[in-house]
Amino acid sequence: MGNYRFHTPDGVSDMLPEVCATKRGIESKLRNLFDASGYQEIETPGIEFFDVYAGGNFVAQENMYKLTDQEGRILVLRYDGTVPAARLVATVLKDHALPLRLSYIENMYRFRESGGGKQREFAQAGIELMGVSNAQADAEVIATSIAAALEIGLSDLQVAVGQVDFFLGLMEEWGIGGEDAELISKLVDQKDSVMLEKMADRMNLSPENKETLLMIPTLFGTYDTIDLLEKRVTGARAKAALTDLREILDTLKDYGYTKYISLDLGMLRSLEYYTGMIFKGFTREVGFPIISGGRYDKVVSVFGRDVPAVGFSIGITLCITALHRQEWGRERRSTDVVIGYDAGPGLRKKAIRAARELRKKKMRVILDCAGKDEKTLGEYAKSNGIGQVIFIKANDSCLEGETEEK
Amino acid sequence: MITIALSKGRLADQTLELLETAGYDCSSAREDSRKLVLEDAAAGLRFIMAKPADVPTYVEYGAADIGVVGKDTLMEENRQLYEVIDLGFGACRMCVCGPERLRGSLDRIPNKRVASKYPNITRAYFEKTKRESVEIIKLNGSVELAPLVGLAEVIVDIVESGRTLRENGLDVLEVIADISARLVVNRVAMKMKSGEIMPMLEAIRAQLGKDKEERGQAL
Repeated sequence: MGNYRFHTPDGVSDMLPEVCATKRGIESKLRNLFDASGYQEIETPGIEFFDVYAGGNFVAQENMYKLTDQEGRILVLRYDGTVPAARLVATVLKDHALPLRLSYIENMYRFRESGGGKQREFAQAGIELMGVSNAQADAEVIATSIAAALEIGLSDLQVAVGQVDFFLGLMEEWGIGGEDAELISKLVDQKDSVMLEKMADRMNLSPENKETLLMIPTLFGTYDTIDLLEKRVTGARAKAALTDLREILDTLKDYGYTKYISLDLGMLRSLEYYTGMIFKGFTREVGFPIISGGRYDKVVSVFGRDVPAVGFSIGITLCITALHRQEWGRERRSTDVVIGYDAGPGLRKKAIRAARELRKKKMRVILDCAGKDEKTLGEYAKSNGIGQVIFIKANDSCLEGETEEK
Repeated sequence: MITIALSKGRLADQTLELLETAGYDCSSAREDSRKLVLEDAAAGLRFIMAKPADVPTYVEYGAADIGVVGKDTLMEENRQLYEVIDLGFGACRMCVCGPERLRGSLDRIPNKRVASKYPNITRAYFEKTKRESVEIIKLNGSVELAPLVGLAEVIVDIVESGRTLRENGLDVLEVIADISARLVVNRVAMKMKSGEIMPMLEAIRAQLGKDKEERGQAL
């Protein structure tokens, strides 16, 4: 016992003052942003029953932290914000009028298949728009995610928007199903054109259809991509997906966000989860998407209430890394003033009063409790980057006067 | 600036050759030095010399935008990457190998022990494709030794010419996958640097097509 007493477990870390300040800054910006658009914040428990996630096969069980309660039931640490929100909307909030706009800022816990620098405990913020299924709702969520990234200072931003129905429609149209469709979706998602070409030959696709399939992974345009693909598909489902994307683009244009958007119809991750539009947001200096979202119309129904929904999450921990590496927006939160006092009747009281006054004026004030004398207090302030020192001495009324000026 | 992670050794040389014929100046990477990061600001390229097994990691985490690595390593590491081009070189096969007498009767061995440098590929093949559970013994080299001394019944390894196998009385029993060098791209770089990366991919594809044509004519 005790061998690990100096360590933190794998994938978690202490957050030191400077980083913590950046994080709180990001959180409060996001909280205000979500609040201003009517997204009400919720908190769900840090532990849920395993069944909440297992019910819809949302998450591979090896990716969840598990523990048991006294009755031997399996519990999991909160894996994401969406599934608990879906549970809420279908149960506790089931009589609440729709649409419902919810937001959250929480820590999530995930075992990763692979180790490395990715944390197993990390903070995410996100919103869920429940009860509306149209392009305007989709665009509102994408726009809010862009506003969120801009708000925290990540303006070097690219958002890729896809639509899983386009691919699923194509598979229907070409009569491909089951394991073949699953394999093709994986190849498209990995942009593996080599295997994709082999697969197309194995499926005996017509030359035109093969060309369309091979095009999907690398078409990163906007309206031009839709125009091009509309001419190449005939099925109603794939066409509807393109029309949906066009409407989303139109709406995002009204938001003034077109420059951040490019389409990527090859994004096909988590097909059991997303049902329509999906999107990911990227910035420089981090190798992972910072924003992830999309439409998930079937998730709430797993909990017994049919509610279409769309949402996104932004990885706060990843954003901190990005901000740090891009060397922007570092919050300097050093203390403004340190107040010390001499031994003597009434001096401590004066010092406390002075500290209160200054704190009321939104200054960060440290009240010395280590009994430092004037000289050592000065040295302490210097080494900690504190700009101002106030030392309260007996019969020194002018010092108090000085604090009042400030 | 595009950062390219190369697998130290023959794969790196072949990649540089390909890039050069495709019109990219790689002289910085040709420098005979022990530096691990080689940068050529004018050409807009930076090379990282990494161990092959680490290349997918560098690319997944975005420390490199592009990587060149064998399909065997990609299968073993199973990272979230875009696997965009089959470069064709470094071709071999991932196989189940063992003594010839086991051919066809592999399924009948109870509690099979399989030695391999590739425990993940081995597990995926036996559990998902063949639906068998096997005991996997991870070794770090000279895997052919395992069946000879009774450590395992069979091995899973890459086979190029098969000479080492034959000299040790072993043979290919089943082929798991064809292996060759692949070009992989980080998912974020594909979006954030598409202006630099897409033309490079195009140039490489074009060069590979040309090479293939020339080989066709030579035959």
